[in-house]
Amino acid sequence: MAIATRTVDLESIRLRRGADIRGQIFFGLLVVSVVVAFAMVGSVFWNVVDGASEIVTERFWDFLVSPSSSDPGKAGVAQGIRGSILIAAIVMMTFPIGIAAAVYLEEYAEDTWVSRLIQVTVRNLAGVPSIVYGLLGLAVFVQALRGLTGGSTVISGGITIAILVLPVVVITAAEAVRAVPASLREGAYGLGATKWEVVRTQVFPAALPGILTGMVLAVGRALGEAAPLLVIGAVAFYTTGNNDFLEQMQGAFTALPMNIANFAKEPAESWRGHAATASLVLLLLVFMVNFVAIVTRARISKKLGS
Amino acid sequence: MGVATAPRPVVTIPGFSTRAAAAAEPLIYVVVVLLIALTEYFAAGPIRDFGPSNFWLAFVVLAIWNGWIFPQSQTAIGSMSGQYIAMTDGTPAAMLPISIRQISRFGVLYGIPALVLDFNIVPAAMVWVLSGLFVWRSRGRRAPWDFVANTVVTDGFGSVGMIELPTLTSAADLRLDPARNRQDRIAGRAMFVAGLVSVLVSTLIVWNIFREAWEFVVADDFSWGILTGRGWFPRRGEFDIGTLFVGTLWVTGIAMFVAAPVGLGVAFYLSEYAPARVRRIIKPLIETLASVPSVVLGFFAISFITPTVLEPVFGDIAFQSILAAGVGVGILTVPIVASISEDAMRAVPRELREASYGLGGRKVTTALRVVFPAALSGISAAMIVAVSRAVGETMVVFIAAGLTGIFNLNPLDPGQTITGAMASLGAGTDEVAGVGIAFQSLYFLGALLFLLTLLLNVLSDLVVRRFRQVY
Repeated sequence: MAIATRTVDLESIRLRRGADIRGQIFFGLLVVSVVVAFAMVGSVFWNVVDGASEIVTERFWDFLVSPSSSDPGKAGVAQGIRGSILIAAIVMMTFPIGIAAAVYLEEYAEDTWVSRLIQVTVRNLAGVPSIVYGLLGLAVFVQALRGLTGGSTVISGGITIAILVLPVVVITAAEAVRAVPASLREGAYGLGATKWEVVRTQVFPAALPGILTGMVLAVGRALGEAAPLLVIGAVAFYTTGNNDFLEQMQGAFTALPMNIANFAKEPAESWRGHAATASLVLLLLVFMVNFVAIVTRARISKKLGS
Repeated sequence: MGVATAPRPVVTIPGFSTRAAAAAEPLIYVVVVLLIALTEYFAAGPIRDFGPSNFWLAFVVLAIWNGWIFPQSQTAIGSMSGQYIAMTDGTPAAMLPISIRQISRFGVLYGIPALVLDFNIVPAAMVWVLSGLFVWRSRGRRAPWDFVANTVVTDGFGSVGMIELPTLTSAADLRLDPARNRQDRIAGRAMFVAGLVSVLVSTLIVWNIFREAWEFVVADDFSWGILTGRGWFPRRGEFDIGTLFVGTLWVTGIAMFVAAPVGLGVAFYLSEYAPARVRRIIKPLIETLASVPSVVLGFFAISFITPTVLEPVFGDIAFQSILAAGVGVGILTVPIVASISEDAMRAVPRELREASYGLGGRKVTTALRVVFPAALSGISAAMIVAVSRAVGETMVVFIAAGLTGIFNLNPLDPGQTITGAMASLGAGTDEVAGVGIAFQSLYFLGALLFLLTLLLNVLSDLVVRRFRQVY
């Protein structure tokens, strides 16, 4: 009696499953979406560089140091650059508040309703649209505190933007502080340090690279924000106070993103290059800030790691 | 980790209480500054400049005072007055970091106030008083600004360490030192106050916005009928909210139509398919998009998207259109969708994937039937956050959407959104306040927008909490 045998070819089992067509289609779609995302990134930057090429080769320096003008051949962004730098400086002055708030939340706060309230408000403030901060600035700094800020000045704008980016600083700094290993704190407490000494000498230095990252994110955001400035009354175009520092602080002001919006809204072709070049300057500023932070951060981490 | 600082020679001055002298320092600060300011005031009338000359004068006076009292002092002025060597072991190699530290301290303590406030005596004096208080608190130890100065400038040089604990004698000394305890209490309170700033800001936002919005609703020339007119023309008293809602819905819808598939695809690819090496390159490249300011994307929308992408597809399209703005906002939200969803997918434990493979699941099945449902709460949160961002995005709409208040259902034409209406009201004149009810309508829209985004944010929190899979 013959025993019926059947050899099973492993290869045939694999083949019976057929090619993984669904898997390949899915993978294809994923690759397409990655390519599309890259195309977005690439075309955004290409659009800026391409549009800026003419002014960059012909009169880049002139563009950087000229004030606004209705003549496309003369207009520049000097006022915008000055405004943006002043705003960034004011924003940086408020960083200690954000860092202290983060340290409070992570190191000091016990689980009371006050600390929970602070946590909730910080999280929600991060989600409030930037133009709403403009309303706050208009009501508080431009109108109520006119005597101190001088109305629609770069001081009002700077403080408003500082408030706008404060949640970014608090959230990233809090994450950095949270990541500091408990053993560092315990070691210091074991030596008899007070809480403040632990924070100052152990937690803060160890969290510094992370805090720095948050500060850079915040400055980058501050440099690019225009919506609150629109509401506060930054003007896109002014002719007085070109070089006087005093007038710059107390009079009309503008910022680079305001310049860009103004140029971009002009339907005439002759302003296209201005918008692109101003965008290029803004992007360069943002990337420069990032670069400085990356280098500093690397040096600090190396130092602390050793 | 601590870098040992060279022991400092202790110089005792007979007849002087160092502590008392240190306590007197802020007083001297204030007196000197006020003296100079007052002298100038009476000599030259009201002045607005507290210029560099005065600042140098005050500096020299204080430097002499400080250098004399504290030859070994850690305070900025004392060290600036030439006592470098006393602070180190005297080797020339230590000079460079020390001098750099002095210069950076100098910059933080005097440079910034002088630079920023040299136009006005009142804030200048305030800053000087404050720095006096800081010096007093530091009492010849480390001053607060040393953190900034040391870390950024001198730590790389190695010989001045920032991380050091004071030399201790015994535990009893520590516990009983009232100065250190007081310092600890004050620091704790200061940080609590800093934490309260966020509550203060929230209160200010809510209070101001809703107060003005309420004034809009109770104003004489307001009736609920004007909210359902034929268009949004605040200066003519036409406040049709429907126009703005249609615009906002279109822009948000188009943005999500662009951002959701691309962002999710990128997230799937990065989390499930990409090798670590590829991921390390692709992820930061796509995240650069998040650091591009929105004005740049607004410019991109009208100078690139409209002529190059939309015109060939849709033919006749306006220079500024809802569609272009929507696509621009969509590009802006791609990195948000991608990075939050990717985080959610990567948080799915490896065991789930391995179990799926063990049961014969293919990669695509694992991704769609195992990882996707497990990460669904995070992915939905990503979408809600992206919608909230798209609703609140202003500059792209301001530049690219056209901002006409005419009621319009066609996305190929110009239109108006909530944020766009606010921006054009704000930009229309530098003195919005003078326009009567139009000014209040700005706050009315702000209140709507605030509530809308708050609702979305709370919703995303709820989704995460309610549907989170517990592994």
